[in-house]
Amino acid sequence: MAAKELRLRTLAIVGAFAVFAACSAGGGDDSTGGPNVAASPSKVNTEADAVRFLSYGTFGGSQSEINNLTDRDAADWLNTEFNRSPTYTLPRLLSEREADGEIPNNTISHQYWDQVITANDQLRQRMAFALSQIFVYSDGPDRDQAQRAYYQDVLIRNAFGNYRDLLEEITYSPAMGKYLTYHRNRKGDERSGRMPDENYAREVLQLFSIGLVELNMDGTPRAGEPETYTNYDIVGLAKVFTGLSGKGQAFKDADDDADYNPMVMYEDQHSTLEKSFLGTTIPPNTPGDESIRIALDTIFEHPNVAPFISRQLIQRFTSSDPSPAYVERVATAFENGSFTSFAGRTFGTGQRGDLEATLAAILLEESLFDAPENTGLDISGGKIREPILRFAHMVRAFEYRNINSANEHRLTDTGDPGSRLGQHPFRSPSVFNYYRPGYIAPNTRSGELGMTAPELQIVNESSAVGFNTFMSEFAFDRSPQREDAQDTFQPNYTDEVALTDTPAELVDHLAMLLTADRLSVSEREAITAILQELPINTSDADRELEDRLQIVGTAITLVTNSPNYAVTW
Amino acid sequence: MAYLSRRHLLLGAGAAGFSSSLSALTGLGAQQAWAADTSGYKALVCIFLFGGMDHGDTVIPYDQSEYNLLSGTVREGLFNTYNSDNATSTRNRNNLLALNPTTTDATDGRQFALPPELGPLHNMFDAGDLAIVGGVGPLIEPTTRAGMEAGSAILPKRLFSHNDQQSTWMALSTEGARYGWGGRFVDVLAAQQSGQNTSFSSISTGSGNVFLSGQDTTPFRVSGNGANFPAILDRRYYLGGTDEDDAARAAIRSHFANADLNDSNIYSQDLRSSMSRSITNSELMIEARENATPFSTEFPGNSVGRQLQKVAETIRVQQFLNVSRQIFFVSTGGYDTHNNQADQIGNLHNTLATGMAAFKDAMQEIGRWNEVAVFTASDFGRTQIDNGDGTDHGWGGHQFVAGGQVRGGQLYGRFPVTDPDAPDYTESRGRVIPSVSVEQYASTLGNWFGLNSGEINSVLPNLGNFNSSNLGFMSGVGV
Repeated sequence: MAAKELRLRTLAIVGAFAVFAACSAGGGDDSTGGPNVAASPSKVNTEADAVRFLSYGTFGGSQSEINNLTDRDAADWLNTEFNRSPTYTLPRLLSEREADGEIPNNTISHQYWDQVITANDQLRQRMAFALSQIFVYSDGPDRDQAQRAYYQDVLIRNAFGNYRDLLEEITYSPAMGKYLTYHRNRKGDERSGRMPDENYAREVLQLFSIGLVELNMDGTPRAGEPETYTNYDIVGLAKVFTGLSGKGQAFKDADDDADYNPMVMYEDQHSTLEKSFLGTTIPPNTPGDESIRIALDTIFEHPNVAPFISRQLIQRFTSSDPSPAYVERVATAFENGSFTSFAGRTFGTGQRGDLEATLAAILLEESLFDAPENTGLDISGGKIREPILRFAHMVRAFEYRNINSANEHRLTDTGDPGSRLGQHPFRSPSVFNYYRPGYIAPNTRSGELGMTAPELQIVNESSAVGFNTFMSEFAFDRSPQREDAQDTFQPNYTDEVALTDTPAELVDHLAMLLTADRLSVSEREAITAILQELPINTSDADRELEDRLQIVGTAITLVTNSPNYAVTW
Repeated sequence: MAYLSRRHLLLGAGAAGFSSSLSALTGLGAQQAWAADTSGYKALVCIFLFGGMDHGDTVIPYDQSEYNLLSGTVREGLFNTYNSDNATSTRNRNNLLALNPTTTDATDGRQFALPPELGPLHNMFDAGDLAIVGGVGPLIEPTTRAGMEAGSAILPKRLFSHNDQQSTWMALSTEGARYGWGGRFVDVLAAQQSGQNTSFSSISTGSGNVFLSGQDTTPFRVSGNGANFPAILDRRYYLGGTDEDDAARAAIRSHFANADLNDSNIYSQDLRSSMSRSITNSELMIEARENATPFSTEFPGNSVGRQLQKVAETIRVQQFLNVSRQIFFVSTGGYDTHNNQADQIGNLHNTLATGMAAFKDAMQEIGRWNEVAVFTASDFGRTQIDNGDGTDHGWGGHQFVAGGQVRGGQLYGRFPVTDPDAPDYTESRGRVIPSVSVEQYASTLGNWFGLNSGEINSVLPNLGNFNSSNLGFMSGVGV
């Protein structure tokens, strides 16, 4: 089968695995695809497998979630997640309005952290986070919070829906309209020569749908790298996205709630000219909503959509550098609108663009369940997790109590690389996200091998230290708080304190819980040796507990700053 | 809160795991003596204006007829948003700051002006400290409208796309490029100067690092106070103040500085070496900065000012970093002015101009203005024809170069006519066809920086397609 050929091809890429792969390749490769759950390759057999799978599909697994997944087929877990009721953002945000109708600054940022850490619909929230990095809307501190909440809910609502519906809801969202400047974009003016704003026309093609170069189904460029559109297509498509503004009395007279309702078409500001792009011509005098419908259908029909979106989604979940074969399997699920698991469970409606099917194909990818030495073959080096995910995972793994981000100074803006995460949700520097899907890091091993590594684009001397500091503040329960009495984000270290007399066991426990047992022997030994330096003063109980918590905080700081925590593979 | 001195951390405890940092410190002491003579130092400072600066709202036609064509027709909507008929408007012709270069070859005799927010740059232009290069952009070969329409012109890939044109400006190819021409310049010079610490040859204060990455060059990212250090090593409220705590801190420091722990995963290897570099280079930078005295020049508290202040502070301690050629990368965003341009570009210009002027003052304060060249770059210029209240993606644009050895007060390259139908522009919406390639711009800077023509050609692959490799805006060329 194709996967096997690919393994041979990619052995060079994962040179470090070559020895192991030669011994055990094929071990996890004899599935028949039949309906037998016990024989399903996607059965989660061990605790380590469960931790690892939850690192892909959630904001990090707690011990109870790990236990709940172990011994189950991942397809069953997915089915449960697909059927959970969504946790939405806007209702909670609006409930925070004060008497004067204002929402306190940064409420949306605080609620985001609370939501992804505590919500039960983890896969949906994780998918919305992934989508937020493809359909990028970035809220400067001065942007409207309800506008962002509505946009977040568009992503949450359509997370398991259809790409075409998602694209339409995004197109009509006031957040995107304002961010990419087509809100109140007027038709051209022949007398002065004024032309419609081209911003959305260009970015919806380049970033949200088809990209710049014609692709094969496996995500690789077609021979000769033909470009997907010219500047004429942009000029033509720009006329489509004219006439939209907030719902209200007139083009420039919006209702108070316009920011969290779809934009509407004002025909007198919509271009009546012929609109030509991507081989489609919309006749003169076609109404605005109809023009948008035709344009989005045309974009959706482009064969690039499946590989372009699939590859980026894979990068957000399981692999920073997926193999072409993996991309093609996922893109095929997108095209077919359905995906059938090894044990015979079918996901998706059968309509092209089905995101549930696409996501099932990403997370039930056979190579993810292969033996550790082999998994690199289709997922390459695995997934470098975003700083946001690494932080949330720690909080969830230790079942932090009293999650109330509004009390946490650090969570208002986690963007500073020098002292925080170098990444804040919904606040990338531009519509090009925090990093680019094709980024190859200069002067690295992965770069020499030509491996894409988007997340390395925000790693540098400053960010490595900033992340270190940020994680230690929370690991030691020392994050600065608005009201100390509230004592928010309290870690629960009961299990860990009990292991402080045996540092090697503590490190093994953390290696399992945080790195899916991937921490190397050398690193375990190094961390254990450090922990052994730390004294435990048993002369009084308070002092003793403090010393033990210091050991735990140190151990967690060291493990969460291990590269083997950052990378899931 | 209790901040521990790095010196205390490094030298105060006699615990294991100190050898690497001790030798680094010892080495540094020796290098200070070796590098005490600062002659021959040069620095290039790139200010990247992310988003694509609207050159047409930066260097503005000043001849009455050209100004009228621009404000009354070509950019009528945009000029209306400036209320340019109002006597106090920044875009009223009477308030523009006319440029008076001694020759007008670049403009065929036409006159241009800067908007009032660029006043500090206008002063620098008048003082001979600043040059403006017109119509710079990515090119493979000299390109004309006729060649484009005939289909014979070989064009750079993925024009008008932000990320690809940023990458092309910095690294001469589209997104995915691994080496920038700044990093390659450092590679070439480092190969000839043994004993240099290339860790500090390329330094970024902003985002994006491909410009400064070379085959042997990895940029150092300067942060808030020059460099930072993990809190668990820095502050006593994590671990306490006992000897055991000191020993543990030393061991943790060694652990983070360890570049090799037999990781099997390739990304893990990359991340670990990054953390290791971070610890060792941060220590060196922090130690070097302990020699710094503050500038009396005040920098503006905006993004460009703060970053240029870090650049100035780093140049001031350059001899303690053991490096005689440095390239800096400063970046600022917001130039993608598709709408509300009138509300935005004035602030952006003000930020740029006040930051650059403060940097000049700071360099003059320490007598090093002749040793630096500051230059701007941006994704692209913008459309000559507006969209009502903003402008869209273009191609060529105008850039500023400042420094004591800049042949200032002059315009270089070519400044297009106002009429968007002229052959200066592509036939759709007036996007400037560059008359000067990024590689010619880079070559002129590289020549001043000390590279010979063979070395420059090894970095800039298309330079040979153009008849000039030096645009003449730098003096003191040839080290």
